[in-house]
Amino acid sequence: MTFEARGLARELGGRVLYRDLDFRLEEGRTLVVRGPSGSGKTQLLRQLGDLDSGARSELRQEGGLTWGGRSPEEWGGCGWRAEVCCVPQVVPALTGTPAELELRIAGLRAQRGREAEDPRALAQGLGLGAAAWEQPWGELSVGERQRLLLAVLLSRAPGVLLLDEPTAALDEEGAERVEALLKERTCVWVTHSAAQAERVADATIRLEGRNDAD
Amino acid sequence: MPTEGPIAITWWGLALGSTLLVANGLVSLWLGLGLGRKLLVAGLRTVVQLSLLGLVLVYVFESGNAWLVGGIATLMIVLASVEAVRRAGRTYAGVRRDVFLSLLVAAASSMLFVTTLILHTDPWWTPRYLIPLLGMVLGNGLTGISLGLERCLTAFEEERPSLELWISAGAGPWEAARPVASRSLKAGLIPILNAMSVAGMVTIPGMMTGQILGGTEPGMAARYQILVMFLIAGATVAGTTGVVLLAVRALFDERGRLLRSKPR
Repeated sequence: MTFEARGLARELGGRVLYRDLDFRLEEGRTLVVRGPSGSGKTQLLRQLGDLDSGARSELRQEGGLTWGGRSPEEWGGCGWRAEVCCVPQVVPALTGTPAELELRIAGLRAQRGREAEDPRALAQGLGLGAAAWEQPWGELSVGERQRLLLAVLLSRAPGVLLLDEPTAALDEEGAERVEALLKERTCVWVTHSAAQAERVADATIRLEGRNDAD
Repeated sequence: MPTEGPIAITWWGLALGSTLLVANGLVSLWLGLGLGRKLLVAGLRTVVQLSLLGLVLVYVFESGNAWLVGGIATLMIVLASVEAVRRAGRTYAGVRRDVFLSLLVAAASSMLFVTTLILHTDPWWTPRYLIPLLGMVLGNGLTGISLGLERCLTAFEEERPSLELWISAGAGPWEAARPVASRSLKAGLIPILNAMSVAGMVTIPGMMTGQILGGTEPGMAARYQILVMFLIAGATVAGTTGVVLLAVRALFDERGRLLRSKPR
């Protein structure tokens, strides 16, 4: 399958973040998104993940997206997001344990019946043992949370992963493990690290961060 | 001679009663607490509003006009919705309609149930029963609805990142928002649950007090109070559930994406 974007544009509060953005990403490839802070990298991932409604007055977005030839409308909102999954940069405040989160996400209507991978094996690959799954989120370190959430979302085998600096809270070894785990997967990957971009990118988009709406 | 039956309160008696406020106002003036003016305004409002209410009720009770009773009941529900919307603190497009609908359905169904099946008033809208009971249902219902709505809208702002995590994982609106909805519902029901739990232990509820002072036998007054508590609780649960569900529905668009509420 192919992940395709045509004529993407986004304006937030009157500021143009990007426009006329096209790309075509084949399955198993990684598209790296780079650019200075505030240039709209996270905003691009939100648009790709279909997270923001056009009914918001301060936000304008345009453009067409398809995954496997079908648009978000055709997939249905939840169906699209189960396929094109946005992994947040910061794990939000969650109650319970990673094991409970994994169970509840697997029970979502859009997730039932999907082929899944073993989250514990994935977490193992990221250097996290079985004990971490039973620890409350609040007692885990930032890096542990980021890796566990990645393992949970990765285990649902989404077609495309939208990654917002997935190794920001990790040391070098942790970052290498994440990179190894994401190899061969279809990713849109925001990173600040030139070295990481070099290692994982099959293609690169650079956002310049325009300033005024013209 | 021991007193028997209801005692009529004269205007002179009320004037004497007002010294309870006047005395406090003077103390406030003396200590420079700046409370005098507020007490005066609140006291005058009580006098004017309740006297007018008394006059209107006499007229409505005697008229026997279903349209008049219906009109007043509708006006009461509209005023209660406006107040509930105001208290909620945040707003979204359609919040007035959602609050009005919730209050209307909750109040109308519970009132109809009580007047037709338990009180057997004939006609069912007999204003002497309908209007005071509706007043109590709305007073409590609007507290529940505004608390539930406030909690729901605030939680949607404060817990946006975790809601978005669920949405990113493919959760539908209801799947993502159910914990928030459940907590909002509980928040809205705390006052009425507390009132039912302590009823008669710390205070004698206002309506029962009124009936006893009005000459009703305490056992009957207690039964009325129990019925009214059930009525109020039933309507509050229904109204709060309704408004929380409608708010959750309003905060997602047709593709399951989060919308924003605004501060008022």
